[in-house]
Amino acid sequence: MLTVPYTTSYLTEHFGDDAFGTLEGYRAHGGYEAARKALTEMAPAEVIDLVKESGLQGRGGAGFGTGMKWSFMPTDGDQPKYLVCNADESEPGSYKDRILLERGGHQLLEGILIAAWATGSETTFVYVRGEYAFPAEQLSRCVAEAYAAGLLGENVLGTGFRHDVVVHRGAGAYICGEETGLLESLEGKKGQPRKKPPFPAQFGAFGMPTTVNNVETFSHVPHILRNGADWFRGFGTEKSPGTTIFGVSGHVVRPGLYELPLGTPLDEIVFEHAQGVPDGHKVKGVIPGGMSMPILPAGQLDVPMANEHLRERKTMLGTGGIMVMDERTCMVRAACVVSYFFRDESCGQCTQCREGTGWLNQIVERIERGAGAEGDLELLLDVCGKMEAKTICAFADAAAWPVQGLLRHFREDFEEHLRQGKCPFPESFEL
Amino acid sequence: MAKITVDGVEHEAKEGRTILQALDDLGLLMNGVDVPHYCWHPKLSIDGSCRLCQVEIEGVPKLQIACNTPIKDGMEIRTRTDAVREAREGVMELLLVNHPLDCPICDQAGECKLQDYAFEYGVQHSRTREPRRAAKKKVDLGPTIVFDQERCILCRRCVRFCREVPQTGEIGVFGRGDRSKIETFPGLELDNPYSMNVADICPVGALTTKDFRFKIRVWFLEDVPGVCTGCAKGCNVWLGTANNKVYRYVPRRNDAVNETWICDDGRMSYREIGSPDRLDRALVRGELGVLEVTSVEQAIARSAERLRALADAKGPGVIGAIASGHGTNEDLAAFVALLDGLGVENRGLATLEGAADDLLVQSEKAANGEGARRLGFGDATAVLDRLKGGGLEAMIVMGHDLVDARQLGGIEAFERLDTLIVLDTHHSALERVAHVVLPARHAAEKAGHFTNHDGLVQSLRPAVEPRGAAVAEAEAFDRIAAALGLGAGQGAA
Repeated sequence: MLTVPYTTSYLTEHFGDDAFGTLEGYRAHGGYEAARKALTEMAPAEVIDLVKESGLQGRGGAGFGTGMKWSFMPTDGDQPKYLVCNADESEPGSYKDRILLERGGHQLLEGILIAAWATGSETTFVYVRGEYAFPAEQLSRCVAEAYAAGLLGENVLGTGFRHDVVVHRGAGAYICGEETGLLESLEGKKGQPRKKPPFPAQFGAFGMPTTVNNVETFSHVPHILRNGADWFRGFGTEKSPGTTIFGVSGHVVRPGLYELPLGTPLDEIVFEHAQGVPDGHKVKGVIPGGMSMPILPAGQLDVPMANEHLRERKTMLGTGGIMVMDERTCMVRAACVVSYFFRDESCGQCTQCREGTGWLNQIVERIERGAGAEGDLELLLDVCGKMEAKTICAFADAAAWPVQGLLRHFREDFEEHLRQGKCPFPESFEL
Repeated sequence: MAKITVDGVEHEAKEGRTILQALDDLGLLMNGVDVPHYCWHPKLSIDGSCRLCQVEIEGVPKLQIACNTPIKDGMEIRTRTDAVREAREGVMELLLVNHPLDCPICDQAGECKLQDYAFEYGVQHSRTREPRRAAKKKVDLGPTIVFDQERCILCRRCVRFCREVPQTGEIGVFGRGDRSKIETFPGLELDNPYSMNVADICPVGALTTKDFRFKIRVWFLEDVPGVCTGCAKGCNVWLGTANNKVYRYVPRRNDAVNETWICDDGRMSYREIGSPDRLDRALVRGELGVLEVTSVEQAIARSAERLRALADAKGPGVIGAIASGHGTNEDLAAFVALLDGLGVENRGLATLEGAADDLLVQSEKAANGEGARRLGFGDATAVLDRLKGGGLEAMIVMGHDLVDARQLGGIEAFERLDTLIVLDTHHSALERVAHVVLPARHAAEKAGHFTNHDGLVQSLRPAVEPRGAAVAEAEAFDRIAAALGLGAGQGAA
């Protein structure tokens, strides 16, 4: 079982200690003191300002400023306000939130409490991916401990502040990780993203103002409160401060989790931390941030893992799920896998996504079968273009980008299929 | 109010509306400003999923969907740019990736938004080499509607309609991605009093009514504006006519009356126009005691003769009159003139009562009961009591609603009348006791006006030729009055 990342920093430092997952153990490391400080010494606006100052960006994939997001919550009116912790970690290649739930439940709850204070929220719904049975159990145990210790409930830390945490398990659809698809699912409806406006900060869970943050995002917050914004900015790059947990998988000697500062070069992660490709094979391409992010070829791995640098190479950090493929890999098969996934998971609301994901998948599968035709590659790019930036949520973009990335860097693989009328990679993984 | 500029033209629009709503309010949508759309419907909640209505907004980097983007003062909207056209083409191509393109056997052909917009924004040739998604072609959703899953573009108008208008919610989208399909929930049928509206709002040939499908190609139909005669609401309809026949009613938008809807009963009432039990000839009871076919002229002459004889012998007090809520204001005014001329004061109105709902359906099952009341025809009880008490010897009756149990419960009371003159569109039991029967025109066969339950006066114009020798009641009453020598204005004196 996954326990401690190979490299750790403040988030996962104590994950080797089983006691850290208990209230007592967490308190032994100064746990809940940051929440106490926020609730007793700081006004909500001060907490938001501090988080803004720290430059913390959401770790769910989009990288939006956390403090900024919190500030969208209305401060007037007496309607209930909610937080949602997005623990529907479903991006293929990503498994960082899982360990944060399994071994850092109280760290997450403390982050939630601080965010609740900052936004005036009365309840947090933690939406846990359906398949995450053990993480959900661990978190539920932490929640029960926190209630028993007066850290949750009607009188948090004796301050009179009320906060409840509800652990809700999803049923296993990728789209329920999209924040408004998640809200629909949480409300008991079919998981389909909502059109915006209205945005969740105005009309969120059950129609109330709601902020949705990722598990890791919340988990950073107690550390920022404890150590200050400057300390936090000491990690990572100027524009992307803090650490993150990279999940490395694929053709590497040491797949696993690595907590490293943002901005750590991709080649350092792949070759030093994950110890490169086994059995003398070479890297062909690396997906830097979960399956929906465009791939980078072997020659472009000297890039710091931070959005401002990755964007220059037409990709993004996403969820930090790094997938390494060696030179035996057929990139058309990779496109088949990716496009099949997105075809299967599209919620089906928007025309471009519903029809485009299926079409992309059928074209790449046809090319892989050796039945590709002249003009197919232009057609693929054209269909991607029709899907991009035109739908309710970013799913269609997430489906188009990886196909565009594979064609951008591995067009030769596709052309070879067209020329030979068969797949030229006999040693590649099987579909 | 907010000032918005659409393709360089400035308009004033209500704050709080989205771009499509504002264009609709201004009467410009698809009527000067073309923003094609599938999922958006003016009377349903906004869905935002078909993505066809994307427009360019000054200062906004991405195209925005017009259906869900609120207007702002000073907003500059462009609907005719290359980027907009390209986005529309993109949506159209993707919508057609799995569409069966079976227009030649599709009943929607000719009034299909997929055809219209494909013609306008589509590409000439399909670029798909993959097989199209096969699905069920003839799903029986309930008593009124057949569903073709292959043609469906998943705009979900029907789903929202059932949830929001009749609030029955029998249907939903099942499955995900390109396996999504509309189905009824387990154990339910699409069966509600407004079910057939889903066929009207379905932009493609996926939902069709069992009643109309395959009856006629729609391009043979001439759509004539009219008013439904099923109840006092007076829902506005298009009468689909061809071959001197009405093939269907579809609702005609009137936000002051029926918005864009019509109930199933009202919709199906078109069948009364061409029904086999229409009266198409005048009848007069002859010497043998049976009704004989005659000309309208003869029937009018006979009516006048008998009324004159009775009025002269016994005075107008022995004559009674029953108006119908199916006559137009013009018909009823002519009736009033005739009765005034004769001095007949025993007048009443007979209409059927039935179930009502909160949406459209009114309990009075006639389109012009209110018009009749406003012309002085009150409750018929007094007249009918007098009839039953033997105080009447002649009656002039429009329609046959009074035969209904709640009014009279049969024809026995008429049996001892000396004279019964009936003007009616359809055959009824009254013929067994009538002395003169005049065939009347249906609302679809004449010009005139109806006053609905709210007092709104709506005009009619003829959509089809009258059945047989049918005459408008107004004409019949005028001719009887003329035969009686009652000149215009005499009645009022």
